[in-house]
Amino acid sequence: MKRSKHIDLDMMRKGSKKRSFLNPLALGIAVVSLTSCSSQEEVMVVNSPEECVATSGLTLVECEAAYQKAQAEAERTGPKYNSSGECESEFGSGQCTQTRSGGYFMPMMTGFMMGRMLSGGGYSGYGYNPVYRYNRPYSAQHNKIMTADGTVIGSPGQSSYRVDKNTLKSKPTVTKTVSRGGFGSTASAKSSWGGGKKSGGWGG
Amino acid sequence: MAKNPAAGAAEYMLRMPIKERPDWEARADEFGFKFHSMYGERYWDERAYYQFSLQQIEEGIEAPTEDIHQMCLAVVEKVVSDDQLMRRFCIPLHQWDFVRNSWINGDPSLYSRIDLAYTGEGYAKLYENNADTPTSVYETGFWQWLWLKDNVDAGVLPRRADQFNSLQEKLVNRFKDLHTLTPDRQLHFACCKDTEEDRGTVQYLEDCARAAGIDTHFVYVEDIGRDAAGNFSDLEDRILSWMFKLYPWEFMFNEDFGSLLGTNNIRWIEPPWKSILSNKALLPLLWKMFPNHPNLLPAFFEDELHLADTSDSMVKKPLFSREGANISIVRNASEVASSPGPYGSEGFIYQATYMLPRFGDHYTLIGSWLVDDEAAGISVREDSGPITQDMSRYLPHIIL
Repeated sequence: MKRSKHIDLDMMRKGSKKRSFLNPLALGIAVVSLTSCSSQEEVMVVNSPEECVATSGLTLVECEAAYQKAQAEAERTGPKYNSSGECESEFGSGQCTQTRSGGYFMPMMTGFMMGRMLSGGGYSGYGYNPVYRYNRPYSAQHNKIMTADGTVIGSPGQSSYRVDKNTLKSKPTVTKTVSRGGFGSTASAKSSWGGGKKSGGWGG
Repeated sequence: MAKNPAAGAAEYMLRMPIKERPDWEARADEFGFKFHSMYGERYWDERAYYQFSLQQIEEGIEAPTEDIHQMCLAVVEKVVSDDQLMRRFCIPLHQWDFVRNSWINGDPSLYSRIDLAYTGEGYAKLYENNADTPTSVYETGFWQWLWLKDNVDAGVLPRRADQFNSLQEKLVNRFKDLHTLTPDRQLHFACCKDTEEDRGTVQYLEDCARAAGIDTHFVYVEDIGRDAAGNFSDLEDRILSWMFKLYPWEFMFNEDFGSLLGTNNIRWIEPPWKSILSNKALLPLLWKMFPNHPNLLPAFFEDELHLADTSDSMVKKPLFSREGANISIVRNASEVASSPGPYGSEGFIYQATYMLPRFGDHYTLIGSWLVDDEAAGISVREDSGPITQDMSRYLPHIIL
């Protein structure tokens, strides 16, 4: 056979019930989908190395290392703001700090997520994903716990959270953008060249 | 030297009329194929299909496609190590390291499409290589596959009808390889705004990447940002670390953010060395390095036209162009046929005229796909004139 043996048509379907592909995500508004149980994971959120020791059975040294890794992840992946005020408007007064590399402000993590791995009878970390407590008044996410990319995992104080497996994955590095529009000028120049509206593309 | 495929397959492929699937437009809606018509005209046209023999496919197209690709890679190897050729290819001086390093590092490629003039008998001839930003990948990998399945299921085409099209399967497998080579990075996809065709193409490739287990994001080319350190970012300020762009390298090289290329840690699909293959200067260099290869047409740089030993007509092509823009057919120094478009300021090359095969009123061009260095299927497009443009029509094909 010279053609693809099988194509999953359900995966390829893009009818009105499927997500539109012209649908930008907005920071902080992604809510964990609870549709598929098989992709769900039970996680703990701990707020300090001491709490980590108390709930996970790891040693203090292990928990201290996990905490510091989570902080490094927070520095790398947390949302960045130009001013402390901007950051505090979303995460609350006194909840923001300057990035270590300087220049920007980011929320302080309120804890970090640990996956419950039932191997060896104890818990062990899954990456070390920091979590934040969102605090903008009247927001639907007010007082919710979320990951660095804005995925809400639940309300504070739960003993455990059911989250999508993807929530446990390491997040992309987040930065502060200083300018946009540095690519694309050739295309717009060429499309106006002919005077016609372009609906074909720049591929070939 | 390629085997002469003419020996056993001495006949044209066939252009067969067929009834359209009664529900094809509903199918297009169902699967999100939005650019089947453009400017109020058909782009996808299933009122006919092309029929090839297995021998035509395997000997006439599949094997030559992989041979041509290897020759093209030999050209890249030569160009990156030769300053004079880098200039010939109009790669801007400030991007030489970027392009060279990507080749020396062995940055992996995803896909290419080479365009062939092929009648079904004799040798397929290379028109050009769309190695950087090939499109019509969705129509090929999925949509014509679905057309065949629907027609076989409906009993319109026989069960043994096949298609030269393992494109989607190979793309997903290639993404799995790339994932292994690029662990712990999320893949951003980008194309320009206001082009439904490009957006659909990129969405399809994003779907293939997701099927391979890669975490993906999308950002429009115009929305890409930079931070103080020179990293590129998306609209949510995520740093781009692995990027598929359906936007030509030769554009990016000279735009405002072009000076940051190579300074930030990004893996690119397609890699920067593809800028050498999507450049029409490839054609004269191929002819120089592999003279008289049966799958190549004589081609010359403008200042080497005296080497052409024929007074026959030549096709004049801009170094950088897409979708048949600005191509003219030169006979006795007068331009007898030409296509309008915004390209050409970088110079031209000349390629011996070799007409596309004609089926009734239709001129037919074969796009032959590669995933990495494996032939992966074909697309068939036809036009009412001898130069295929982006308004040509896409027709499905079968092997029988």
